[in-house]
Amino acid sequence: MLINTVILFLRDALPIFVLVVYLYVHLPATKLWLLLSVVAGALLSLIYINQIHVIGQWFDGKGIELSLWIYQISVYLLTLILGYGLSQNQASKKHYLSWVAGLMVSLTLVSKGSNFILYFDGYLNQSNAIQSMLLGTFLGLGICLSLAILLYLTAQWLRQRLGPWSTWLLVLIYVTGQLVNALPLLVQVDFIDASATAWSSQHLVSNEFEFGHLFNVLFGYQATPSIAQVIVYVLALLIPLAIFYSLKLYSASHTGHKQ
Amino acid sequence: MNKSVNKVVGGTALCFGLFCQSLLAAVAEYQVQLKDHLFFPSQITIPANQKVKLVIHNQDDTPEEFDSFSLNRDKVIFANNKATIFIGPLQPGEYDFFGEYNPNTARGTVIVEHQKQKAADAN
Repeated sequence: MLINTVILFLRDALPIFVLVVYLYVHLPATKLWLLLSVVAGALLSLIYINQIHVIGQWFDGKGIELSLWIYQISVYLLTLILGYGLSQNQASKKHYLSWVAGLMVSLTLVSKGSNFILYFDGYLNQSNAIQSMLLGTFLGLGICLSLAILLYLTAQWLRQRLGPWSTWLLVLIYVTGQLVNALPLLVQVDFIDASATAWSSQHLVSNEFEFGHLFNVLFGYQATPSIAQVIVYVLALLIPLAIFYSLKLYSASHTGHKQ
Repeated sequence: MNKSVNKVVGGTALCFGLFCQSLLAAVAEYQVQLKDHLFFPSQITIPANQKVKLVIHNQDDTPEEFDSFSLNRDKVIFANNKATIFIGPLQPGEYDFFGEYNPNTARGTVIVEHQKQKAADAN
């Protein structure tokens, strides 16, 4: 039970920590959004778990997978809004960005945190499991916090040297990875047909091991990705990068003309 | 003109036929029980290059998460409930799965084999 709890933390809590750290560095001005979004996310998770049996019956038993997919696609779209906000020159128009970041954290808390509630709700009533689960929780939290501090320092360094676009790129890579991770949810309920495997790198870095877990969280690493996952990953990364790069060029030339 | 119309109609009919065939093709169903945090059967043999449906019945009073890295599957099965997961088409080989909440006991393997080869072996 101890190891299971630690692994659960690495799989489901680490993505929350990573997103919070990236956004914390990306939007350094105000921090109220973070507190509010964590509270809102916790409340939404409880509501989601309370209704999960009902949601599970929707769309012929595909409700949970579809809802999780919708959460991921929403977080991805919110990341694009963050990028658009960054491309705007006027600081007065950027106040909404902290609420966008808050919504991203809340949605991630619902999609990842609900797994915790299920696990603890199911096993906490077993008297022999409490001690090892608590120990596993402390260990898991310790690992997540240590990695979060390392990532915080790295993201800070990147922001100082390369500017806010670098931290936005970190968010985009992370969110694209999560989006691609959610694609098999649609395949497993037969919503889309995309099982053909692109390659297997199980022998190099397996998803079962620590580095596999870490890389999966940071940039969506899959040892056996499907072709559809590879295509979605490349397009979801490159299209916004191309659009925002063009916007930046246009904005720079527009400002040059005015002067 | 008529020839090109015929080609379009023929092509459309062929596509429609293939689409219907894929819709009507029965997906083989495999039942798996989860009891005392153990999968029964723990080895499931399925045909290669075919999509199949796994129906997992959780008979325990605790939830479990069906998880497989090699199959890219991840689904919560509530206590005393069942869940359906589609897998495949897969290449021949062995694909491990486990219960994420009880990975020491709840373990199993999907064995993917060529059906023709198996029939020939039987003869």
